[in-house]
Amino acid sequence: MSARAPHVAAAGAEEILSVRGLTVAFAGSEGAEHVAVKDFSLTIGAGEFVGVMGEPGCGKSTAAIAMMGLVRPPGRIVSGEVHYLGRDLLAMSDAELDAIRGKDIGLIVQSPRTSLHPMLTVGRQIENVYRAHNRVSRRAAHARAIEMLQLVGINDPERRVKSYPHELSTGMTQRVLIAMAMSSGPKLLIADEPTSGLDVTIQAQFLDQMWEAANRTGSAVLVVTQDLGIVANYCDRVVIMEHGEIVEASAVRDFFAAPAHDYSRRILSLQRESAASVAGAPETERAAAEPLILVEGLSKDFDIRGSKDKVHAADDVSFLIHRGEAIGLVGESGSGKTTVGRCIVRLEEPTRGTVRYRDEMVSDLTQREFTPFRNDMQIVFQDPTDSMNPRWSVEQVLTEPLDLHTTLSAAEKRKRVTTLMRMVGIDPAVREVKPRQLGAGRQQRIAIARALATEPAFIVLDEPTSALSPETRAEIIELLIRLSRELDIAYLFISHDLTTIERVCDRVVVMYLGQVVETGTRAEVFRAPLHPYSRVLLASHLFPDIADRRVDRPERVTLKGEIPSPVSLPEGCYLYGRCPNQVERCRAMPQALEEVSAGRSVRCWRAVAGELPG
Amino acid sequence: MIGRFVLRRLGIAVLQLLGVALAVFFLIRLLPADPVARLVGLNASEEAYAQAERTLGLDRPVVDQLLSFLGLSSDRGADGLADGSLGLSWVTGDPVFLEIGRFLPVTLELVTLALLISFLIAIPLGMASATRPGGIADRIAFVWGLFAGAQPDYWWGLLFVFLFFFILGIAPPPLGRIDPLLIEPSVITGFLTVDSLLQGRLDTFVSALHHLMLPILTQVFVVSGAITKMVRQNMIRALQSDYILYARCCGLSRRAVGRYALRAALTPAVTLVGIFYGVLLSAAVTVELVFSLGGIGEYAIRSILSFDYPAIQGVVLIVALVSLLIYLLLDIIHAYLDPRVKY
Repeated sequence: MSARAPHVAAAGAEEILSVRGLTVAFAGSEGAEHVAVKDFSLTIGAGEFVGVMGEPGCGKSTAAIAMMGLVRPPGRIVSGEVHYLGRDLLAMSDAELDAIRGKDIGLIVQSPRTSLHPMLTVGRQIENVYRAHNRVSRRAAHARAIEMLQLVGINDPERRVKSYPHELSTGMTQRVLIAMAMSSGPKLLIADEPTSGLDVTIQAQFLDQMWEAANRTGSAVLVVTQDLGIVANYCDRVVIMEHGEIVEASAVRDFFAAPAHDYSRRILSLQRESAASVAGAPETERAAAEPLILVEGLSKDFDIRGSKDKVHAADDVSFLIHRGEAIGLVGESGSGKTTVGRCIVRLEEPTRGTVRYRDEMVSDLTQREFTPFRNDMQIVFQDPTDSMNPRWSVEQVLTEPLDLHTTLSAAEKRKRVTTLMRMVGIDPAVREVKPRQLGAGRQQRIAIARALATEPAFIVLDEPTSALSPETRAEIIELLIRLSRELDIAYLFISHDLTTIERVCDRVVVMYLGQVVETGTRAEVFRAPLHPYSRVLLASHLFPDIADRRVDRPERVTLKGEIPSPVSLPEGCYLYGRCPNQVERCRAMPQALEEVSAGRSVRCWRAVAGELPG
Repeated sequence: MIGRFVLRRLGIAVLQLLGVALAVFFLIRLLPADPVARLVGLNASEEAYAQAERTLGLDRPVVDQLLSFLGLSSDRGADGLADGSLGLSWVTGDPVFLEIGRFLPVTLELVTLALLISFLIAIPLGMASATRPGGIADRIAFVWGLFAGAQPDYWWGLLFVFLFFFILGIAPPPLGRIDPLLIEPSVITGFLTVDSLLQGRLDTFVSALHHLMLPILTQVFVVSGAITKMVRQNMIRALQSDYILYARCCGLSRRAVGRYALRAALTPAVTLVGIFYGVLLSAAVTVELVFSLGGIGEYAIRSILSFDYPAIQGVVLIVALVSLLIYLLLDIIHAYLDPRVKY
C-alpha cells in the first residue's frame, strides 16, 4: 500500500474543489476509532466529470459528504482541508458553510426516500432549500420548485409539487432530490450513487442532463458509483477506493486500458470475461427442443381499493419457453415483468389467459391441484434476506421443500442438502448457520439451492442479481449459467439489467407498460432491435465500453417524460408521447404484436412496415 | 373522509362503552359486599332491610337489574343508559350524572393544566438534552426522571405541602379549591378558573390558581421526567435521520434544520399525550385526596367505600368515555400532522 495516496491534478481547467488529506473516523466501542476515510486527496476542475468507485463499505460515500464538512454521527473529520474556490470549507463557521452547501455545492444521495422529510410536501422542501440561498418570496420559490420538477422530467409538476415523499415512486423521489440539488445552480454536484434505484432510460436521461450542464456551464460533477458503465460512459477521470484509501486515480481511458491496482484489474477482468463469453457463445439452436411452458394471452388487473379503476399490470402477454432455455424478460419498473413471472407460478392469479406446462393447462388448476407442479416450477426472488425465514438455519431452509414434496428419509434429506449446497458452491459446513450471518451473495446462492431442491424443470428468476454488488453479481451469473447447462433447467430471467440478460439468456422478451413489444433471440434483439422502445432501452443502457461512450455519440436517444400510469392507459400506441419515431397515426392506433419472422415479433406498425431508420 | 372515520370511531366507542358497562355491572356484583347492610346499618330490622333491598331493586333477578341499568326494561319507570341516565346515587339520592358533572371538571382542570405545563417543560428540555447528549440539560433530565418517578405522587404531594405551606408559607393550606372566605362563582362550565374569568371574578381566579399550584406541581414533577425522556428519544431519532443530514447538506440554517427535526419528533409525541392523560387521570385520585380538591377520584373512592353501585358504574363509564374521546381527538390531530396516516 502506498504511503501517500496518489494525487490527481485537474486537467488544466480552473480548480473548483481541492481536497487534501481528508481523514474521517468513527468512534467505536471503548474509545477505539475506526478510520473510514484515510488521507483522501482529490482535485476537481471546472467542467469535469469525476467518478469515485469502490466496493460497498470502502468509504466512498463517507468521503463524499465529508467534502461538505459533514459526517454521520458518531463520526468526525480528523484532519484534512477542503478548498472550494480557494477557501477552506472545514475552517469556516457554520453560517458560512450553510451558504455554500446546497447553493455552490449540491448533493444527491442514494436513498432519496429517507432523505426527504416524511411530513412535508416535496414542493415545500424544494422551496425551503431554494429560499435558504436566494432572497425570494415563497411564491417565487414555489414557481421555481415547479420549474425544477419539470426540468427533471416529472409529469404534471403542478400536482406533484403538493405530494408527500411516500406518495411518489423511488425514481420520482430521486428526481425530487435532483431538482432540489440543482435548484440554486451549483458549481459542483456531488452525486452518491444517484441512479441506483432508477431504470436505465431515466438513468441515461439524468446523467445526460448532468453531463450537459457540466459542459455548458462549466460546473463539475463528482459521481460516486459501483457501476463501470457510468464510469466508462460519462467520467473524465476515475478514483478507485479500497478500505478508505484511494488506491488508483487515473484518466478514464487509461483506467480501462491499463488499470494500475489489483481491485481495478479484478473488476475489469470480470467485466471482460463476461463480454468475451457473450461474444464467443454459440447461438443455441432450440427450435428442435420441446416446448415446456406456453403463456397465451396472459392479463392481470389489480383492483384499487375504494375505486372502480384497475391497475393493468399485464395485458395479453404471450410467449413460449422451451426445455432448458433461458428467456430474458426486460423492461422498466412498472412494465409488468414481475407480475407475469408470478402469474406463471401461480403466486398471483391471472385475470385472463392461460399457462400450459408440458401437456397440462396449469392456469385452470386450483391451488391445491397445482401444488404437485410446484416441484417443477420454482421461483427465486430479488432479496434473499427477505425471502428466507430469519430464524431458520440454512439446513432448515433447504429441507423445507424436501419435506413438502418428497418422501425422503431424514438421512436422505441430509445428504440431499449437502449435495445442494455443493451444487451452488457453498461449504456444507455452514448448514447450521442462519442465512443472515452470510453475505448477500451466499444468501442468494442458498435461495437458488432451495429452488433447486425439488429438481425443477423451470425457475422464475425475479431480478436475482439486482441487490448484489458487481463482483457477487458476476459470480451468481456464472453459477446460474453453469446450473442451467448441467441440470437442463429453463429460466424466465426477469431483469432490467441488460448486461445480465445478454449474458444469461437465449431469447429476449421486451415489455413496456404490461405489453410485450418485442421478442427475438438474444442476437436479434441486442444487435438489431426493431421496436423503438427496445432501441431506446439498448441505447440508454450503459455498457462499459470505452470505445463507444454515450457522451461521444452524435445523438443520444432517450424517451421523453416517464412511464404513464397503468391505471389510465393511452388509447393508441402505449409509447405515444415518448417515442422518438412517432407519427400522428400512432396516437389513436392500437398496436398489435406481429410476427416478422419465426420466433421474432414486434408491436409497432412502423417497424413492421420497415419505416424505421436502420 | 375524516367524517366517515370519526363516525366509525364513534360507533366503535359506543360498543366499547357497552362492553365497559357490562363488565363493571357484573364485576361489582361479584364483590363480597352487602350494600343494603351498609345503607341501613347492621342493627336494622329485617323489615327495614327488605324494604331497603326493594327500593334499591336488589331483590330482583340480576338480568332484570341489568335491563333497567341499560334502560331496556319496560316494567319500571326509572331511566337507564338508553335514556342517557346513570341512575340515582344510593347514598345521596341525587342523579349520578349531575354529581359526576360536579366532580369531574375539578379533575379535568387539574390534569389538563398539569399536562400542558409538563409538555411546556419537557419539550424544550428534551430537545436540549437531545442536541447535546451528556450535557447539563441531559443530566438534569436524566436525574430528574429517575428521582421523580421513583416515589409515589402522593408522597411528593405531602412533601410539597410540608415545604411550601408549612415551612415557606407560600402555598395555601391543602384544603379545597379556593380560599374559604371567597364565594364560589356560579357554575357555567364547572372549571373554576374558566368560570371565574367568565364572570370577571379576578380574585377567585387567582385564588383558584393558587390552590391548584401544589397539586399541579406534584403531577408535573412526577410526569415530566418521563415525557422529557420520550421527547429526547424521538428527537435523537429524528436528528440521526437521513433527512436531517440531507437538509444540512442542502445548507438549511440550524434553525430550519431544528424545525424539521422538531416536526418529526413531536408528531409521534401527540399519541403520548393520550397515554399520559390516562396516567395523570389515575394519579389524580391520590393527589386530590392529599389536597382535598373534591374531584372525580375522591368521588370514586367514596362510592366504592359505600358500595354505591350506580355511582361506581357512572364513574367508570364517564372516565372511559373521556379517555375514548381524548384518544379520538389525538388520532385526528395525528392524522392531520402526519400525512402518512390514512383513515
